[in-house]
Amino acid sequence: MSNKSAPRPQPVASERIPLKARNVAFDWADTPLHWIPGDPASAHTINVLHLLLPAGERWFVHVYKQALPLIRDPRLREDVIGFIGQEAMHSQAHDDVLPHLRALGLDPEPYTAQVDWLFEKLLGDRTLPPGRARVWWLKERVAMIAAIEHYTAFLGDWVLNADALDARGADPVMLDLLRWHGAEEVEHRSVAFDLFQHLDGDYRRRVRTWATAFAALVFLWQRGTRFFVANDPSLPGGRASARDFLRGGRQGVLPTPGGMLRSIPQYLSRTYHPSKYGSTEQAAAYLAHSPAATAADATAPGGS
Amino acid sequence: MPALPRMRTALLVAGAALLARRALRGRIGRSPLWPMPALDRPVSGRGPGRGPAAPLRLRVAERTAAADGVVVLRLTGARLPGWEPGAHLDLVLPSGTVRQYSLCGEPAEAVCPKGGAYTIATRLIEDGRGGSREVHEQLREGMEVEVRGPRNRFPLADCHAYLFIAGGIGITPLLPMVRQAEAEGVPWRLVYAGRSRASMPFLAEVEKLAGAGDGRLTVAAEDEVGRPDLAAALADAPPHAAVYCCGPDPLMDAVAALLPGGAAGLTLHTERFAPAPLAPAGENAPFSVELRRTGRTIAVPADTSVLRAIREQALSDLPYSCERGFCGTCRQRVLAGEVDHRDELLTDAERDDSLLICVSRARGASLVLDL
Repeated sequence: MSNKSAPRPQPVASERIPLKARNVAFDWADTPLHWIPGDPASAHTINVLHLLLPAGERWFVHVYKQALPLIRDPRLREDVIGFIGQEAMHSQAHDDVLPHLRALGLDPEPYTAQVDWLFEKLLGDRTLPPGRARVWWLKERVAMIAAIEHYTAFLGDWVLNADALDARGADPVMLDLLRWHGAEEVEHRSVAFDLFQHLDGDYRRRVRTWATAFAALVFLWQRGTRFFVANDPSLPGGRASARDFLRGGRQGVLPTPGGMLRSIPQYLSRTYHPSKYGSTEQAAAYLAHSPAATAADATAPGGS
Repeated sequence: MPALPRMRTALLVAGAALLARRALRGRIGRSPLWPMPALDRPVSGRGPGRGPAAPLRLRVAERTAAADGVVVLRLTGARLPGWEPGAHLDLVLPSGTVRQYSLCGEPAEAVCPKGGAYTIATRLIEDGRGGSREVHEQLREGMEVEVRGPRNRFPLADCHAYLFIAGGIGITPLLPMVRQAEAEGVPWRLVYAGRSRASMPFLAEVEKLAGAGDGRLTVAAEDEVGRPDLAAALADAPPHAAVYCCGPDPLMDAVAALLPGGAAGLTLHTERFAPAPLAPAGENAPFSVELRRTGRTIAVPADTSVLRAIREQALSDLPYSCERGFCGTCRQRVLAGEVDHRDELLTDAERDDSLLICVSRARGASLVLDL
């Protein structure tokens, strides 16, 4: 090996953990629309997750099912299988929040129908001839998922450490959903990137798909927040503002713009590996105490 | 570069940006969610029951005898999901055994704002699997039980006339149907068979519903008049009526056999109140699975899931994940064969043509999958 070889991503071995889906259930009956008391703007900013994730994570599963036959590494294959189940449960869990939002007077469907279109049609399976073109489209989508997973891991790590949410008296069920989800995102944060490296790993594709995914996330997120605030029946004439977003960041109930900007060069670094950021140990510690995750483990056949 | 053209470019760009901003603002002002198209049939957030329903903890508020060997339980709790005639509950008994019981009360009672109630009835089956014995001997007023559901595998379809055929405790899913038909003014008839009048629950209520005369109700207590004349009941039914039947297997088999000799265009809907005896784990039966597209048939041994058998013997890249029937990754389409669904994810509509191959098995000797 020469000193001139390109820098390669090096995983941190101790951060790897076997993955399994958890059969969680949440009871939404007592969760209010403004689940961060006194801060509807921040609650709605986080609520955008429920708009994007049901369709988005369903799409992850759909794409990964197609990628499965191409995997030649049995260890990665195990990881991807665990990843698929966890993502499927995330999608279901967030999907179950939507009827509750509707019951509280905020119908999310005008927005989710568009997100459904984005993932089912625009990013869905194209009428492409089998062979090169189809593999190209699959690699492109696998790379996009790796970029998005960089942000889900970022958000997962953030929510596990967002003590301000507890201090503000945020709804415990919603907090458990976010932290269970966040912890599993941290747990499996390397899988999407490892799969991308295994199937392709082209740096130019990584940058290109990152730019697409990042722009789309910013576009969808600000739009989702504006959609929620404008349609919230208890906020007549409500308008989402950048100022509210910055304030949420300062108060610790939302991620800070600085933190988000710093995560960009991380992903674009040639030596990036997701296992270098976030803590599997912290995620596992949360999952060991999460009400939903422990209930799911308890009802599992042969579970403890 | 001279200063003037540079300024002209800057002005042009700024002007274009301003114009674009104005045009977009106006457009977005009229339709805030412009410019993304929407999916015609949205998928996200549709319908209850995706994912496992959270179990409900209910209190046994009332326990009464409805007939010889039949107890009626009234279960109360806050915020109960609504249900429609034909629905059943999964009742988790103190020993952990899960049994299905049809809801036989009024649907309106469930969604009462002050706290709803479900009503179920169970008959003690002496040589049964122990579920009914546990209900009869262990459930007392004031106890807490866990239930899941309600789910409906026996919904009442819209029809211009109904013929209900109940055998004994099989009256339970049919009773709310009769009440609904009566309330909506749809003509109905009920044939209610049982061993003796004393052993037939809700007899007084159906007699009251039927009123005097006009032959809407035929009660066939075996110790008085023998078995019911099913052939006559089916022949007298209005053409194209919907026939709903619940009772012991021989009764339902007899109705199915006699149906072609009945009135024209009858449709039959049945529910087995002792759902096919599910073999406990370890006592599964072997069966075969045909993979129609692959063109192969594989054997599924008793101790192996369909998923494992297919992966080992034919298609090693089949997607799956949790292997316990909740994540839904391994869902496949069924082309033929009756499925013993053991997952906790799929809705009844999805179960019509698909299964989760990690846990579900064949009810009969074979299945045909679209693989």
